[in-house]
Amino acid sequence: MPPNSRPNRTMLRRALFLLAACGVAAFAVLMIQLFRLQILRHDELESAALQQQLRRTAIPASRGTIYDREGRVLAMSATTYTVYVSPAEITMNGEDPERIAGGLSEILGVDREKILTITADRRSWYKTVKRQIEETEADAVRAFKNEYDLQGVKLEPDTKRYYPYASLASHVIGFVGADNTGLSGLEFTQNDLLTGTAGSILRLKNSAGTDMILTSYEDYVDAQDGLDLHLTIDTTVQYYLEKQLSQAVQDYDIQNGAAGIIMDPKTGAILAMASLGNFDLNNYQLVSADVQSEIDAAVDPDAAAQLLKDAQLAQWRNKAISDTYEPGSTFKIMVLAMALEEGVATPSDSFYCGGSMTVQGRGKPLKCWKTVGHGPQTLTQAAQHSCNVAFATLGLRIGEETFYRYCEDFGFFRASENPDAALTGKTGISLPGESGSIWWPRSVFCNSENFSQLAAASFGQTFNITPLQLITAVSACCNGGYLMKPYIVDSVTDGEGTLVSKTEPEVIRQVISEKTSAQVNAILEQVVCDTKQGTGKNAYVAGYHVAGKTGTSEKVAQDAAGGKKEYIVSFIGYAPADDPQVVCLILMDTPSNETGIYISGGQMAAPVVGRILGEVLPYLGVQPRYSEAEEKYIDRAVPPLTGKTPEEAVKLLREAGLAARIEGTGDIVTGQLPGKGTVVASGTTVLVYTGETPEPEEETVPELTGLTYSQAREALFAEGLFLRSNSTILADSDTVRVVFQSVGAGESVPAGSVIEVSIVNDDNDTYGRY
Amino acid sequence: MDHTSAGAAPVRMGKADRRADLPFLVITLTLLGIGVVMVLSASFASAYYDLQGETGHNPVYFFSRQAIFAAAGVCVMLIASRIPMRVYRACALPLLLVSVASLAAVLVIGTVVNGARRWINLGFTTFQPSEITKIAIILYFSALICKYKDRMRTFRYGIAPFAAILAVVSALLVLEPHFSATIIILAIGTSMLFLGGVRLHWFIGAAGVLIVGAVAAVLFVPYVAARVASFRDPFSDLTGDGWQIVQSLYAIGSGGLSGLGLGMSRQKYLYLPEEHNDFIFSVVCEELGFIGASAILLLFAMLVVRGYWISMQSSDRFSFLAGCGITTMLALQVVLNVAVCTNLVPCTGISLPFFSYGGTALLIQMGEAGILLSISRENPCAAYAPRELFKTVKNRKIEE
Repeated sequence: MPPNSRPNRTMLRRALFLLAACGVAAFAVLMIQLFRLQILRHDELESAALQQQLRRTAIPASRGTIYDREGRVLAMSATTYTVYVSPAEITMNGEDPERIAGGLSEILGVDREKILTITADRRSWYKTVKRQIEETEADAVRAFKNEYDLQGVKLEPDTKRYYPYASLASHVIGFVGADNTGLSGLEFTQNDLLTGTAGSILRLKNSAGTDMILTSYEDYVDAQDGLDLHLTIDTTVQYYLEKQLSQAVQDYDIQNGAAGIIMDPKTGAILAMASLGNFDLNNYQLVSADVQSEIDAAVDPDAAAQLLKDAQLAQWRNKAISDTYEPGSTFKIMVLAMALEEGVATPSDSFYCGGSMTVQGRGKPLKCWKTVGHGPQTLTQAAQHSCNVAFATLGLRIGEETFYRYCEDFGFFRASENPDAALTGKTGISLPGESGSIWWPRSVFCNSENFSQLAAASFGQTFNITPLQLITAVSACCNGGYLMKPYIVDSVTDGEGTLVSKTEPEVIRQVISEKTSAQVNAILEQVVCDTKQGTGKNAYVAGYHVAGKTGTSEKVAQDAAGGKKEYIVSFIGYAPADDPQVVCLILMDTPSNETGIYISGGQMAAPVVGRILGEVLPYLGVQPRYSEAEEKYIDRAVPPLTGKTPEEAVKLLREAGLAARIEGTGDIVTGQLPGKGTVVASGTTVLVYTGETPEPEEETVPELTGLTYSQAREALFAEGLFLRSNSTILADSDTVRVVFQSVGAGESVPAGSVIEVSIVNDDNDTYGRY
Repeated sequence: MDHTSAGAAPVRMGKADRRADLPFLVITLTLLGIGVVMVLSASFASAYYDLQGETGHNPVYFFSRQAIFAAAGVCVMLIASRIPMRVYRACALPLLLVSVASLAAVLVIGTVVNGARRWINLGFTTFQPSEITKIAIILYFSALICKYKDRMRTFRYGIAPFAAILAVVSALLVLEPHFSATIIILAIGTSMLFLGGVRLHWFIGAAGVLIVGAVAAVLFVPYVAARVASFRDPFSDLTGDGWQIVQSLYAIGSGGLSGLGLGMSRQKYLYLPEEHNDFIFSVVCEELGFIGASAILLLFAMLVVRGYWISMQSSDRFSFLAGCGITTMLALQVVLNVAVCTNLVPCTGISLPFFSYGGTALLIQMGEAGILLSISRENPCAAYAPRELFKTVKNRKIEE
């Protein structure tokens, strides 16, 4: 090779430069970049990659079922579907968002623009379009998806909550939100038990959505279904309570709702708990038609929204545990129990009521509700009369310290180290929103120079408790003295029915002796069963020995505001008095002044409790024990007479306590009115046909309200109609009068129809706010 | 020069006394071997799913073809390594003429793939005239530089003829269109002129023009602007080029330090486009991790350094220029390919030598490696230490 054909020095230097640039520097830059991507950004990029590679298929856990004590389903979950889109896949597969939005909005009724907004987020792999769609809609979505082969539209199973009894026990059961999380009631407090744990399948998928070959990665997490709750609530008892309570709310035109609790006094198990107005758990946001029309009428949208919000909060409020009130005279049960237990009085002790008394520390004299006074009376009579003076006297005899200690023992508050602290307490039931009571600080209540609080507390005023606290304390008075912890969840089972936990009745403490308890029961039975002097006589249920106490509380706040006096009327009753099986408290907030019925617990609440107990006791299998007097007055069934001779018919009717009038001259009875088995008032004259039975004519119903029971019977008979009572009290006195009739006056019904009436022992002598 | 000094022992090639450079040979064969295995791993899934209807769901479709071409490529390399350099010098002009002719022909008879007319179908296989053009340009420019000698410093000889050839070739490539090949060829041509001794101010001027042109293109050509935008934030555009880059970054990032393991790439399951072709390196990164990918880059770097080394040891100016040209081209392709995969430069379709699937390209790359071996045979490398190389450069000055 000629030397001049060798590369010269410039060439070599430039080659050396290229070597450094292309062989060293460039590769160094590449290495640095690799280090940044693979080491520094590893986690970020890998998780982003996994987001597109992994497909999580959720296996929803089935939310537990809620049963009542008889195994009837109160709340259950059914399979629904969630429709979602994967905008990233829509983009990848070049699917048309317009078509997807159009199709889905048509099937699901979701706004088209909203779906377009969702699909525009192209980095997302999961955007919910609609939750909880039913199988039929899901099928339509599947068909749409398959028709256009849309990978970006997806369905996944979900569950929806159903409440077969709709509004029944709505405040106890509660409801869940769209994400199946409990928002109120037991659905809320027991959410963790009911929810279970969702499972999932995690798989690697290629971009076409099928499994990767060779590279297998699968993570399977089994779903843990939620646990089932078995409540102490009995649907039938709950139904009776709600039926009678809502009828009463309507009859008395209750302005501010009502609440009721039925409890087994021996265990503390809640059999029923109601708060009116209630709502449909399946549509828990729906308010009543009245409220809705009010909202619709509102011009300002903000005001309408506020109205709706207030109405919803009001209807969701469980008044039985969330509202506190002054219990009024119902609290005298506890005072009676304390007095007997402490031995400061015996049932036969004599008390004098002159209509008022002076109390140390109280400026004005303390007035009895009966301002003329009850005169001399035994302890039993004082209870029957609900005499404020007698009970204040009892309170003073018990003494502030002892009284205070008993109130704590009955669970009305929890003691505090600080004597100046306002006191409060709760039962601790497993329901949300339980309010605490409002009680005097110890230093104020236990003041040996001022007994005004003690005197007022002796007849249930100047402090606030919840209805649940009251019924729990009264249960302790009647069950032998044991304060029970109220409970509502009887047991918890898993999906196979295996017991997970069971609530055992819990005795918190014995407050009074069994002997005292028996004395209380005997006295309170006289409050109901003495049709002359008993202030609770309207709660009477023939054969069931009901004991109980009325309550009429003035709503202090309204009074102070200078408005019309408003009242909470209440009644607490239990039966049978010698062995209480069931205790029932109802209270109704602010009856209307317009109904013409005297506003008091005795006139309004007592009959409702009577009717509830009259239905609940037979249902629970408690056998009635009728006295001879009761036998005489109770309504009775007409015996079958057809085919008998007229003489036999008359004899049968007389044995049944009914009269007879023979129509026709035949030898054999061919027909009767009312028909066999119809329940009518005792003493009703039954028409016995021995010839042709006349076609029933239309008759006009007469006005019955205000008449006595027998007057009503005769008035109806004059029109060829019959009478029966839906009240539990006996029509054994002239003061028992008709207050409601099932068919209004002036309406036409076929001859022989039975008209149902409500009767109340409307004795002017016992009118009073007791 | 001392033929027996320290370092790797020269290898005997058949009956001839001349010995090919062993390190270069070993590195080339190693990269080829890894490349073929990676084609199997990367192409397995897409060949199995066969969304293009090309493979008949045969998972080893691409692998078996690539393996055959690799075997043929080794033969081509051995043959090319035994052809004396003067023969290449003699063939340079005819080869360039054939290249230009086939570049023209492809515009007429070429098959269209993805909107570009780049391939000529030879019946048993397809080939890209641009591949052969690259080596033709290198060989002919080398020959021309040897011919013009010191006149390379003038515009008439040093610039004009070369620019004319590049203009014709670039025009034909742009018509296909085939921008990445245009860029490579212009870069190689420029490198050759740089080595050939053209005065530096020309390069400074050209760089200025290039920068102004690039900025203008980014500002005023929407297509280029879109490319650059998706380069700056690939996550903003998941449909087009952004999608490719994002998928590539996902693959590389998923690899981490030690990788998911050979064959365990998840991004190759239809997420990563061109996974056995332009983006095969992303699969390498995902499966072999930073350690594996760095090792492969290191092998490439060693190959490039060795290529320059061999060329600079040559006492023949043509061999020196051709060797440096081939090495520069190899380096450019590797660097640009990996830079695209790692989003260091905007997306262009450049394949990775010895790795990317493609028969004729592989044969030509092996032939080019063969030419370097041929250079090493004529001028066996003695200087293995950098010191020796600098000594050579110094000595040359004294000689001149």
